[in-house]
Amino acid sequence: MRDTVLLHKTGPQIAQELQACIGCNECLLACPALAEPIRIDVLNRETFSGPISAPVARYARACYQCGACVAPCPVGLHRDAMMMWLKVRLLRSGQGE
Amino acid sequence: MSRENKAGISRSYLESADIVIVGNGIAGLTAAVEARRFSPDARIVIITDQCHPTINTPALKQFATGKLLREQLLAYPAGTEREQRIHVIQAHVEAINAREKYLCLDGGRGFGYGSLLIATGSKPNGLPASMPGRDFDGVLTLHRLPDYLDLRRRIGEIGQAVVIGGGVHAIETVMGLLSWGITVHWLVRSETVMPRVLDQPASSLVLEHIQRSGVKIYLETEVVGVVGRVGAVAGVITNHNQMIPCQLVLVCTGTRPNAALAQRCTEPMLCKNGILVDDYLRTSVRDIYAAGDVAALKDPQTGNYEPRAQWYSAVLEARIAAAAMTGHEAEASSFGVPWHATHLGELSMLTVGNPLRWSDEITPLTDSSKGSYRLMALAGDRLVGYLSLGSKQPDSLAIKRIIDEGLPVTAIKKALLKGTFDARAYFSQRRSEAAHHLVTTGKLPDLPPLVATGKLVTCVLAQTGPLPSAPIPMPAQRQQQPAASVQPMQPYRPAARGDHLPETGPLCTPAATAPVPVSAPNYVAPLTIVESEEISSFTGNLPVVAKPGSSTNAAIAARQPQKQFQKPPTASSSKGRSPQKLLPASAKLPAINVNNKGKRPLRNLWSYSQHLPAISNHGNSSGRRKSNSGIGSKLSPCKPEWEVAKEAGLRCFPQEEAYHQSRKSQL
Repeated sequence: MRDTVLLHKTGPQIAQELQACIGCNECLLACPALAEPIRIDVLNRETFSGPISAPVARYARACYQCGACVAPCPVGLHRDAMMMWLKVRLLRSGQGE
Repeated sequence: MSRENKAGISRSYLESADIVIVGNGIAGLTAAVEARRFSPDARIVIITDQCHPTINTPALKQFATGKLLREQLLAYPAGTEREQRIHVIQAHVEAINAREKYLCLDGGRGFGYGSLLIATGSKPNGLPASMPGRDFDGVLTLHRLPDYLDLRRRIGEIGQAVVIGGGVHAIETVMGLLSWGITVHWLVRSETVMPRVLDQPASSLVLEHIQRSGVKIYLETEVVGVVGRVGAVAGVITNHNQMIPCQLVLVCTGTRPNAALAQRCTEPMLCKNGILVDDYLRTSVRDIYAAGDVAALKDPQTGNYEPRAQWYSAVLEARIAAAAMTGHEAEASSFGVPWHATHLGELSMLTVGNPLRWSDEITPLTDSSKGSYRLMALAGDRLVGYLSLGSKQPDSLAIKRIIDEGLPVTAIKKALLKGTFDARAYFSQRRSEAAHHLVTTGKLPDLPPLVATGKLVTCVLAQTGPLPSAPIPMPAQRQQQPAASVQPMQPYRPAARGDHLPETGPLCTPAATAPVPVSAPNYVAPLTIVESEEISSFTGNLPVVAKPGSSTNAAIAARQPQKQFQKPPTASSSKGRSPQKLLPASAKLPAINVNNKGKRPLRNLWSYSQHLPAISNHGNSSGRRKSNSGIGSKLSPCKPEWEVAKEAGLRCFPQEEAYHQSRKSQL
């Protein structure tokens, strides 16, 4: 059960949040770990499905779940949970090591 | 079909497509992409008169204030249309011939359709046509990308600006201008702001915050004319005979659905403040659907048809419409209650459902501590509306889910009211309790809210046949559920949507909202994600069965474990079913193919986990973590899924196979 705390959002919830994302970029503007320009449409798509491009993979590895992205979101979404999802996908693909 | 019609277009010579979508806003393109997923071979065409690709329209304000580049506005990655084989035609649709199923485009062209989706969006109300000076340079009606490009071009050289309008759009614009150091005069026609969404205290709180940030607010003030000098704006004259000097007038006076096509259809299309649609986004004309800002959906709570001009509802509607157009109604999710969240300067605003009193049975609860405001509308122990204003945005989608699913809120009432509700802990605990109950008692949990996550049947519009039909009757009520299962005093309660279920009228009628029994055969799981793999947060394990939307979906299984129990994923029970459904998680290809030669097997997917992911639960009785399907397979032993998959000739990853072999030898 301890992993429940870590992932803290189910797949449907993540998909729902991705659909509700209005693309305003506020989360990425607030992110201290973002080192290179990443478009939010690409990030959203790769968070949930499809191949993960190298910049997004680097960003997912750099994310340290500080939660700075959550408060600026105008629609109350949780980019930290989405990033965690992306991290899991990355690990699963073998790129996370 | 080759006979010529009045327009001189012969049906047999028409270019045509299976699915034609008018408009390439977010609803149009989302519907096209979804339709492609459902129907890989269909010919899908988007007809639009917009000169740019689909953009994130809510992000236009950030764009106007320079926070975003133009490339960052794209809603879908560039080239999505080409990649998805969606043909985009640049044209204006003049009329619809619903009888012969073709569109009249500008230039006298015609275009045939199999299914038509109207996603033409909305258009701004703007200033009254009779207002003097409305065409001066510097009067902008903010709605589309060109308007915001214009604003962005001017914003650096503006000293004073007037914003007209009393809605969210106006407030967001005001706050954007403030960040540029512009003196903003905000003109509001009424005494409060957003009177349909906010009550008096909430409106006062919003006004107070905005005033404190330096905006000059003029309540109960209207513009009667715009003053110009050599064609450019010099100021506005208000109804209090006051002249406000400014260089820019921004009009944010709301939008209305762009439903002109409904009037130009050969069949009568029900249209009143938007094109009326049913739960599957069907209009009253056969094979014509509508989604996005142009569609007026029935509010499951109040029963009124109203358009929902919001981003998320447009996305949801497009997904449902695409499922319906391609004959996959069963996979369509529900759009649920209205939901709107935004930032009004420092304040975060959230409205879910109908927080303002709309029925006598609603009990309102308010809290206005610490400079924030929350309003809860309760019907019995169910939440039917929630309004929150404060420095922190609550987990807005979780609250929508609570209302959509009709979960009891007695235990979390105080937290919701105080704004301290922790949705992650709440839902995590619910899942844990359900699993614990199932494992310890072996019985199905008696948790109606957990299974009452089906879709809302709010309305079904009668459709026209191929020939002109009589005026459309509104659906009549039918007898639905045994009276014993009806709980009065709960005017809003969702019911699972299935073909056998009748439509409901206004949800204040108790008989129309009976809960669906657990064993309902046509139970449809909500919000199934089909396009990607599933990772179970229930156990933290990687997915066990990779076909979401099926009864073996891990996340759904957590909510409806009886399905798992009745139908364990054995080879014998899979007869007649697609073997795809029995794939282990890894058999559904992950996004990236990694060459694992020479690498150690992927053991630690969790940095602190000592175990491999639960690919199979066969023989797993040593108290280790169990996946959801592990519960089912423990109750009803079955072959490990990797073996089943292997028998079915499906691919297993080498490292998993090695793992299974080692597990086998251990056992």
